[in-house]
Amino acid sequence: MKKLTILMTALTLSFAAPAYAAEDSKPATAEQTISTGDVHVSVNGLVCDFCARALEKVFGKEEAVKGIDVNLDTKMITINFNKGQSLDNETITNLITDAGYNVEGIHRVE
Amino acid sequence: MRYLYASIFLWALLGVGLIIPNIADARPVSYPGGITLMLNNDNDKNTAHLHYSPTAKTSIGYKLEYWRDKELTLNAIQMNNLLKRWNKKDSQANLYLKSGLGIAHSDKGDFDNETQAAGFTGLAADWENRRFFTSYENRYTEAGDIDDFYSQSARVGWAPYEGDYGDLHTWLMLQVEHMPEAKDNVTVTPLIRLFKGVHMLEAGMNTRGEALFNYVLRY
Repeated sequence: MKKLTILMTALTLSFAAPAYAAEDSKPATAEQTISTGDVHVSVNGLVCDFCARALEKVFGKEEAVKGIDVNLDTKMITINFNKGQSLDNETITNLITDAGYNVEGIHRVE
Repeated sequence: MRYLYASIFLWALLGVGLIIPNIADARPVSYPGGITLMLNNDNDKNTAHLHYSPTAKTSIGYKLEYWRDKELTLNAIQMNNLLKRWNKKDSQANLYLKSGLGIAHSDKGDFDNETQAAGFTGLAADWENRRFFTSYENRYTEAGDIDDFYSQSARVGWAPYEGDYGDLHTWLMLQVEHMPEAKDNVTVTPLIRLFKGVHMLEAGMNTRGEALFNYVLRY
């Protein structure tokens, strides 16, 4: 009976409770002025091919984004935008946080 | 008490994994909108798990398991929750809760052709950087009057090289499983993991000569 109670408690928690929290993401450190040049983002937790693919999928859904390059050595992603378009730092930070990773810093190329 | 000793042993192995070779894990939760298919075959069972991740914190899917010696089939809706993630500059660690609810069907002994409600739950933890990986997970399964059992496993892994994004990634791993009720209750399996694009393959053979073959597709 005790085992059953423990199991049912865990199942209830699993199916009913909204899941957890990743570490709070740090605010972007770069200036907020939006340019349409490439954006370099330093990402914490970017340690595997799967992580890189996740970010590629997430940014691939954004109309403004032409593509992204991922460098696993430097833990940096470079976002290329379509002509005349961009995303602000807050949006970039939210997209990366929602994908399960943390932004360490954002640098815009003018 | 035997469970305690076994748990301490596996946690010790997990700890050792932080400083020597280890593996990368088939993640129970994908990116938002991601769909994952996982097929696992080892000395005990054949399983299939298809899940969808609405967010990076939760996945829900269907799990089919067939335990060959037990002649037990389990069909379940499985939900995985990412309880906590630690993102560091050069590493990542995760803690998951994995639970399922469904039905179990037995074709063995006193429970031949018996079907009953079933459920399972367990915790999974992993840590990895680009060269080393370690993981631990446990699970308690309850299948009504048919069966109930506990299992736990740990892995350590080492990547002989650091591949770039899109390259073929290779991991050499060692898996230790502990199932207290089994005749051979500890199983040690060296294996190789190959990962490229959306495909991941694992192949190994345990110390009793039984094969392991896993495949994961993420899209």
